[in-house]
Amino acid sequence: MKKTVYIRFTFILLIVGFMLAVQYNTVKNPETRDTRDVWAIRQELAKETELHSELLSEVRVLEQTIGKYENMMYESPKIALNETVGQLKKEIGLVEFNGPGLTIKVEPSLESIVVGQAIDGISPELLVRLINEINRFKARAVEVDGKRIIYSSAIRDVNGKTTVNNLAVKTAPFTIKVGTSTFEDAKKMYNQLEASAIGDDFYIDNLKLVIGEPENNVKIAAYDQSISKQFLLEIPGGES
Amino acid sequence: MWLPLLGLILGISLGLLTDIQIPDVYESYLSIAVLAALDTLFGGIRAQLQQVYDDKVFVSGFFFNIALAAALAFLGVHLGVDLYLAAIFAFGVRLFQNIAVIRRIILTKWSERKKE
Repeated sequence: MKKTVYIRFTFILLIVGFMLAVQYNTVKNPETRDTRDVWAIRQELAKETELHSELLSEVRVLEQTIGKYENMMYESPKIALNETVGQLKKEIGLVEFNGPGLTIKVEPSLESIVVGQAIDGISPELLVRLINEINRFKARAVEVDGKRIIYSSAIRDVNGKTTVNNLAVKTAPFTIKVGTSTFEDAKKMYNQLEASAIGDDFYIDNLKLVIGEPENNVKIAAYDQSISKQFLLEIPGGES
Repeated sequence: MWLPLLGLILGISLGLLTDIQIPDVYESYLSIAVLAALDTLFGGIRAQLQQVYDDKVFVSGFFFNIALAAALAFLGVHLGVDLYLAAIFAFGVRLFQNIAVIRRIILTKWSERKKE
């Protein structure tokens, strides 16, 4: 008799415990609803697709490199390695860039010339904004007033002068050269820059942005200063 | 004594591990069902201590109370009256009463044992 009572209680308590746990789950983790509409989801999908294609092209380049290594393994590994080093140098901007692109001129605005206002140099914030805008449109190489922009280039104010790579930028007028992968990209960038609001930001500072037509051959100088390495060390010759 | 406790732990872990969630709409039903189940449980314990426990009454009471509470809540939703409050009130009062009776019985037993 006693045993059956215990079994009954056990069974009932099992159900009670289960219900309590389910209730606890429901209260503690409310189901988060996906409130995005179709358009937002499409945009996200487009972004992911773009990333996918970018990754694919990157994979293709790396596979080509592997193929090159395999082909040259028996012939001369040095050539393959040199080629890779050359490519990497090109990517980070240690080599001169020759290719399609466009030239942007920064000039003092007509009004300020007519009125006779003093023309200040470009502010670092504005220059950073312009370069971010240019990079957003997939620039491959950028040069500001003869100074090549690389991954570690600093644009900042030093004693009231705007500097790039620690070298002062001229007071307007000066030129900014932008290199792109293809001529189509250059055309696209031209249109996008023309349409963007960056020109208005320049106008506030009494400067005028003259975006040149896309060109087939733009020459952008290499980065000429030494790069400080933080993690990589050169092995002294002969030890490798 | 440990067997029912084991059942409770087993039930809770089962519920937590399966990670079942019920839609918000049915949340009130479940909460009221839990209350009904607890009420029946303590009623059962009290009956056991008072030696008037009946298997059929206990098991049928468990399921019937849950069903009734859920039905009342359902009716309340469709009538626009918070009828489930009635069930919560009734079960709550009975829960306290049952626990009070259980406490007294245990206290009496304890003092009797002390006297001996």
